[in-house]
Amino acid sequence: MSIEELGTPVVLLANSGFVRDAQSAASNKGMPVIRILPLNVACESTVPEDIEAGTAEAMPDIIEALTRPLTDHEKSPKWSTEESPRIAFKGNYEEINRFFYKSGWTDGLPIVPPTEEAVTEMMTGTDLPADHVVAKVIPRQGKATIEKIAVNAVMAGALPTHMPVLIAAVEALADQRTRFDTFEVSTGSWAPFFGVNGPIRDQIHINYSSGALSPGDMANAAIGRAVGLIVENIGGARKGIEDMGVIGNPAKYTLVIGENEEDSPWEPLHVERGFRKEENTLTVFFPNTYIQAVPQGTDAEGIAKAMLAMNPWGMSCFIVIPSHAKILADAGWTRKELKEFLMKRSESPMDSFWESSQPRAEFDPDSLLIVVAGGPGAWTGLLRSVGGIKNDFVTKKIRLPRNWDELVEKYKDVVPTYARY
Amino acid sequence: MHRFRSLWVLGMFVILAAVSQAPSGMLFAMDSSSIQYEVLSPWGEADPKPLKGISPRLGDLSGKKIGLFANYKRAALPIAISLQKQLRSMYPDSQVSIYHSDQWNVTEIETENREIFKKWAEGNDAVILLVGD
Repeated sequence: MSIEELGTPVVLLANSGFVRDAQSAASNKGMPVIRILPLNVACESTVPEDIEAGTAEAMPDIIEALTRPLTDHEKSPKWSTEESPRIAFKGNYEEINRFFYKSGWTDGLPIVPPTEEAVTEMMTGTDLPADHVVAKVIPRQGKATIEKIAVNAVMAGALPTHMPVLIAAVEALADQRTRFDTFEVSTGSWAPFFGVNGPIRDQIHINYSSGALSPGDMANAAIGRAVGLIVENIGGARKGIEDMGVIGNPAKYTLVIGENEEDSPWEPLHVERGFRKEENTLTVFFPNTYIQAVPQGTDAEGIAKAMLAMNPWGMSCFIVIPSHAKILADAGWTRKELKEFLMKRSESPMDSFWESSQPRAEFDPDSLLIVVAGGPGAWTGLLRSVGGIKNDFVTKKIRLPRNWDELVEKYKDVVPTYARY
Repeated sequence: MHRFRSLWVLGMFVILAAVSQAPSGMLFAMDSSSIQYEVLSPWGEADPKPLKGISPRLGDLSGKKIGLFANYKRAALPIAISLQKQLRSMYPDSQVSIYHSDQWNVTEIETENREIFKKWAEGNDAVILLVGD
């Protein structure tokens, strides 16, 4: 686009599967009529013969795209973007769900109808006015007003007590350091991770114990789901159009966890990141891989070796269960030392181990997070992202409304009770 | 007492009759389907963008300066080299140059190379953009 703006005619060649993505990107930058040609070469091809054949096939169209005179529409485009009236639909539960699904506004699961009443109730979770714009969400630069965030939150099945977390999540996505612009639409299918710290975890029942990353907890489920809907409906990142994740990622439904601060031997994650213990925070980054392992030994060395064998690299996050964290801490490991051991072998307090291990790249210890969470057992989890694109972990303060105590009281009993059998 | 029992039996008969008229499995859905909701749109508003047309095309590529922009993806540069070879063969009097960006996911004009890039782009009569996928 910038080249066209300099007055030089351009043709863009994209793999046929990316033409619609390129068109959408061009429209978002105000140039919907840029000439885009499909190129019949495999994505990221390394086969010279295929590249030669594909470019030869495309050459007549390339020449034509650079020489065919412009149409009136190309000279002065008039583009009508899809806007939506505030009241989107009227119907029964099933009709609404069909309408929303067919409009491309859901994640495939049924939604809770966002009625005026439900949205108004959702907005009791913030002191900000309905028309306050928290951020413009890319790629479409849609305005994440409090009302639109609340509409998507209702759809996701969230509670008003989740609104402060959702507002912080939108603020985090708008923070350039997350590189949300790249990760959310990347072929790598990166999913936003949300780690919650502070007293709010218990107030809104965020799970940080057994199965914290599994389905079954409203806060963990609905907050992540609401963010996914916000990204889709406010940001306009639709699967296969703007979000070009090749294989996709189930974590895009939700990837929300609290830290078990009370059972952790170390200072909480948000304190490590410069916040006060009594503050509520949300820490965000974009992993695309989640692996779990059981250590070879259950002493500190065995646990640390297992973490190393899981091969963390820059922009990774370990989920360490409280019992393992305690074993490590009792053996003298601080969180900082553990991170240095895992990311910089030269500073390892376990040099004898390194002598027998394979050389590995060094990473900045600050590009590793360690979150203490999970239930009884012996597993360790690792979420891996990638660095090198000016990205970083981002921690945002969660701001509570004045009526917070009443809200917490109102929804405190919304927890599952499982029957014995 | 007998009178109450008769009423109870009559009541049960009415309920069973209603159930027998309902489509299978629809007893509860019948109620929910009759409830009408007016729902708000989740679609975010965006400010209208000023739309720009594209630049006038060339009459012919012969004798022109043609630029090939290859981004950081690994196929982009080999594709550019392939096109350069073909264009040089087809238009021997044209100049065909390649600009290779190694910046990940950043628009070149937003990098520290912006002046070099701008000069290169402005120096061409036409540009072919290659994104590697």
